[in-house]
Amino acid sequence: MGPRWKGKGSKAKALADPMSKIVLQLHSCLIQSNSEGLLCGCSVLLSVEAQQADLLSRSCFGETMVTVEKDKQWFELSMEEAFYLCYALKCLKIVEDQCPKSDDQIWQYMKSRSALFPYLYKAYSHLRMKNWVVMSGITYGADFVAYRHHPELVHSEYAVIVSSEEEGDADKRLRVWSDIHCATRLCGGVAKTLLVLDISRNGHSVDSPSCLESYTVKERTITRWNPEQCREDHTIVESENGAKAGI
Amino acid sequence: MEEVDSANILGEPDMNDVDDQEEEVYYASVPASKLQPRAVVSMARWNNEMGIAEVVVQKGTFSKTTGIVRSGKLYYSIEEVLFLVEIGALLLLDESDTGLSLEDIYVKMSGGKYKFCWEEFRAYRQLKSLGYIVGRHGIPWSMKGAKSNCESIPSQGFPESDKVLNLESEEIRSVIGLFNEMQINKVRPVFNVYLPNSKFRKSSPGDPSFVLCFTRGYPPSKVELEALEGQCGSIPLKFCNVEQGRVSFFSFDTVELPVLP
Repeated sequence: MGPRWKGKGSKAKALADPMSKIVLQLHSCLIQSNSEGLLCGCSVLLSVEAQQADLLSRSCFGETMVTVEKDKQWFELSMEEAFYLCYALKCLKIVEDQCPKSDDQIWQYMKSRSALFPYLYKAYSHLRMKNWVVMSGITYGADFVAYRHHPELVHSEYAVIVSSEEEGDADKRLRVWSDIHCATRLCGGVAKTLLVLDISRNGHSVDSPSCLESYTVKERTITRWNPEQCREDHTIVESENGAKAGI
Repeated sequence: MEEVDSANILGEPDMNDVDDQEEEVYYASVPASKLQPRAVVSMARWNNEMGIAEVVVQKGTFSKTTGIVRSGKLYYSIEEVLFLVEIGALLLLDESDTGLSLEDIYVKMSGGKYKFCWEEFRAYRQLKSLGYIVGRHGIPWSMKGAKSNCESIPSQGFPESDKVLNLESEEIRSVIGLFNEMQINKVRPVFNVYLPNSKFRKSSPGDPSFVLCFTRGYPPSKVELEALEGQCGSIPLKFCNVEQGRVSFFSFDTVELPVLP
């Protein structure tokens, strides 16, 4: 299942405006404005001006919040998004109670909020570093969905499930056949491919974000094979159901 | 090709339909068999000890893609026998040359004596009905065409003689032994599957389109996947899940998402 662009010209538009460039602009723009995000539960709140707001929207970081304030636009970032801007791109400071937090402190905080955060973050940053747009996949029962470019131009291609066998009991998804049926059936219905990102810590700990570099990511798709549709040649024909496509 | 013909009359309901179509379920009565009796019927004699059947009368074109050839003789495995008997293309004789009914054969298979696995047979039947060519993984079609590629056992050309046949059946049994060991690890490669191909030759089968694997109870783990991938090299793997009477096939393929601009 290749990319499904939304309407004519979307592909050309995406090609002319690569995501890496938009993120680069966001990077310098956030640095210039010395942006600070406020740690708030499992979210990081960020208030920005028009230019940053435009870049955050175009690069799909966070969700805009509706407030009465006219001069400021508030964004709510997920933990992965915030930590990516903070730790990987180094263009966002995260504060709690007006007190700036170190990378290690934020890492500990986010880990305490979600035991799987190290794996989810590794998966998120892995795809982001390849310039894929990564957004929440919760409505598809997945961790993330991955887009080739902005969701306005293209449908998401993958529903991403993050898996780590090292985590044992904390990660029990896709361990029984009915889960595999369920996930592939759902993905097929919304024209996505199920992508499992297997994170290995390779013996390294989860104590500090500096361990992330030693983690490895293996990409695997799980697809259903239909013997009735694949008799002719070697290409695996996926069942397509464009009518029910997602965002 | 007869295999293709049989696809139309023996097609299983579409298991993989993404639409929410209910399968046809019959309330009043089961419809009568649509299979036509065949004019040409092969005959094979069951070998209790080896758990395979030696073909004694060969008719039709099934032998092009069914059975293994050893020393000029054609042998059918249990699932091959059962499939051919079910579609009326084979008459199975017992060791005293008495014809066995389908019921006799089901009784034989259900005994657990012959390492027969109903779930594997379900997958075999579905693929064969659609014209796929299905052989046992690790058991060469013929000793001539035996290749070590993706086979569990190293195989070499054997001179053809009756003595060697016995040796070879030893080999078959040792291969089955290998399968049993793998069953402990839950995951086992079972069938080599080739796409429908009228030019298929047992003496040069080439690489299968994929190796069909079965698991015991659970989807394959990462470790199991990697071990099997290492074993089968470049040949793709698929995994079969037979549950609640449904046969499903899944690929767990390693991919590499491109780095986008």
